[in-house]
Amino acid sequence: MQLREPAHLVSPRAIRMWTVEAVLGALFLGAAQLGWWFLDDAPDRTLHVVVGALWLLLSAAYAIGMPRWRYRVHRWEATPHAIYTQTGWFNQERRIAPLSRVQTVDLERGPLAQLFGLATVTVTTASAAGALEIVGLEVGVARELVDTLTSAAVAEKGDAT
Amino acid sequence: MSDPPGEVVGETEWRRLDKRMLLIHPFQSLLQALPAILALFVARIGADDSDRWELLALPVVVAFGLLRWVTTRYRITGDQIELRHGLLHKQSRTARLDKVRTVDLTAQLHHRALGLAKVEISTGSAGKDRLVLDSLGIDEGRRLRAQLLDRLRTVDPALAALPPPTGPALDVGAPASEVDEVGAEEELLRLHPSWLRFAPFTMTGIGTAAAVLGFVSQGIGRFSEQGDYYESSARWLEEQGWLPSVVGLLVLVSLLAVGAYILSFWGFRLSRNHTGSLHTRRGLLTSREVGIDHTRVRGVELGEPLGLRLAGGRRLKAVSTGLQGEAGGGSDWLSPPAPASVVEGVAAAVLGDPVAVGGTVTDHGPAARRRRLTRAVTPPAALVVALAVGWDVGDWPLWWLVGALPLVGGGWLLGRDRYRGLGHLVTGRHLVARSGSLDRRRVVLARSGVIGWKLRQSWFQRRAGVVTLTATTAAGRQHYDLLDLTPERADELLRELAPELVTQFT
Repeated sequence: MQLREPAHLVSPRAIRMWTVEAVLGALFLGAAQLGWWFLDDAPDRTLHVVVGALWLLLSAAYAIGMPRWRYRVHRWEATPHAIYTQTGWFNQERRIAPLSRVQTVDLERGPLAQLFGLATVTVTTASAAGALEIVGLEVGVARELVDTLTSAAVAEKGDAT
Repeated sequence: MSDPPGEVVGETEWRRLDKRMLLIHPFQSLLQALPAILALFVARIGADDSDRWELLALPVVVAFGLLRWVTTRYRITGDQIELRHGLLHKQSRTARLDKVRTVDLTAQLHHRALGLAKVEISTGSAGKDRLVLDSLGIDEGRRLRAQLLDRLRTVDPALAALPPPTGPALDVGAPASEVDEVGAEEELLRLHPSWLRFAPFTMTGIGTAAAVLGFVSQGIGRFSEQGDYYESSARWLEEQGWLPSVVGLLVLVSLLAVGAYILSFWGFRLSRNHTGSLHTRRGLLTSREVGIDHTRVRGVELGEPLGLRLAGGRRLKAVSTGLQGEAGGGSDWLSPPAPASVVEGVAAAVLGDPVAVGGTVTDHGPAARRRRLTRAVTPPAALVVALAVGWDVGDWPLWWLVGALPLVGGGWLLGRDRYRGLGHLVTGRHLVARSGSLDRRRVVLARSGVIGWKLRQSWFQRRAGVVTLTATTAAGRQHYDLLDLTPERADELLRELAPELVTQFT
């Protein structure tokens, strides 16, 4: 029997947050291109147009495709003994950590996340390579998750290495 | 010594660094201040007035060095160790004794001349949190290490009786009676001079040789005029023909590699005391002693890089929490490059699991093989195509194309060897992961040391139907990967290694 997907999806508002992120990134690249337009003295503008068209095409594909793809992939589940996440889109990753090895539980809200009422929960273990991150949770859900995990982690003894 | 052994635990009085550091600290601060002092002198050279007030800087710097000794104090109270230093910017660091992971004793030449050793106590899981005592007397350092690592009621007389690293190689015969009394210190490995033959086959050795050669040639280039040294040596090389030059270079590089090996591994000795802690000692000029608490060891890493493998050698590192840096910063060596049988014997003795060290590993299947070959052959093949187009369309020389052809063959060989290296094995207590070709490693990781799992699939891996299973741990490289398993096999492994974890998610 195969490992199934984690039970819960993140908030649907995460799609909008990721879209805004993608658009902001694309605008940054667009600004660089605008600068190039004004700095370049050559009379021939073909290259500018080609690069600009490419930029528009790829940015649009990314901003439309990535958030939906990512939303389908991003899942999480916490049980009394373990936390299980699935992240990524092009490259995908599943992580499982037993609660007995959890060291810290962080709740983080960037400016965009605040705008959409979302939060990121990061669960670290004693391994530098082992942090689990759940992006795009609704704040209430995130708070509840942090409380559950924290009380479970505190109950464990030892230094979790 | 000054304090009787019985009082060591539970003491509260402050202790200072060794008095002999009064000789060293002023020199250290002088060295640190040297650029500033020189600048001052140079600036004052043209000055007319005869009072050389800048000379006042010297006693100030020396006094500063002496103050370092005066202001540095440490003490052990109950269950923690505390270090205080600094005059204006006072610092105090405290660490719990049960968090101490490793205790290193390092003695550079000036330390050794005075019978001192720098004690580094690491307490964090990533090895960032370190208490450094620079320096204590060698006996004092050993006693402190014994106290921290073994947490003995009294000082271990066997440990204190060991000769300092400055002394001759340890004679096990002499203190044998004492050693036996406290339950024996078991010697697991001692360097044999014939192992020097492995030095030229390691990248570390060759890298050191290259660095030395580069440094020397740069130095010569700077001091010789108009590069006539290069001209004359080039002419000389031409007269010799290419074969002797290549042979000469090989000999030179080998000698330098052997030199590097001697410098870092001379007198290498690995032992285990009655509490199970591992102790290593090594180094020709700078001698280094490392004690690794056995409860921190999560496994070993058997290094078999290509050159060493062809020469029939291996090397061994500990996978332990709390060693400096991701790769251990050199304090994790359990064996220098040495014959395979010797190293595997040591690994088996450390872990008590000979199957995990020497057993045949399971391969990862045809999809993994295809991926290894594709990934190794594609870049050189792309290069060849590019060069062919360049030769056909542009006027790139044909010999570029011809020269690049062997790379494709080399890539294929590399991919094949990488697949051959790939394998895993599960024993009662350990998970074994082997991978790599040029830098092949067989990692034996304690199953109890795994603190989480990752299943990773890139887009290409999903299309090829393979998955990389990663075990994360607080020790060593923090994560160990099983590359390109079939999903079924990955699932099977997870089920076997962490049943209580995965059954709730099926």
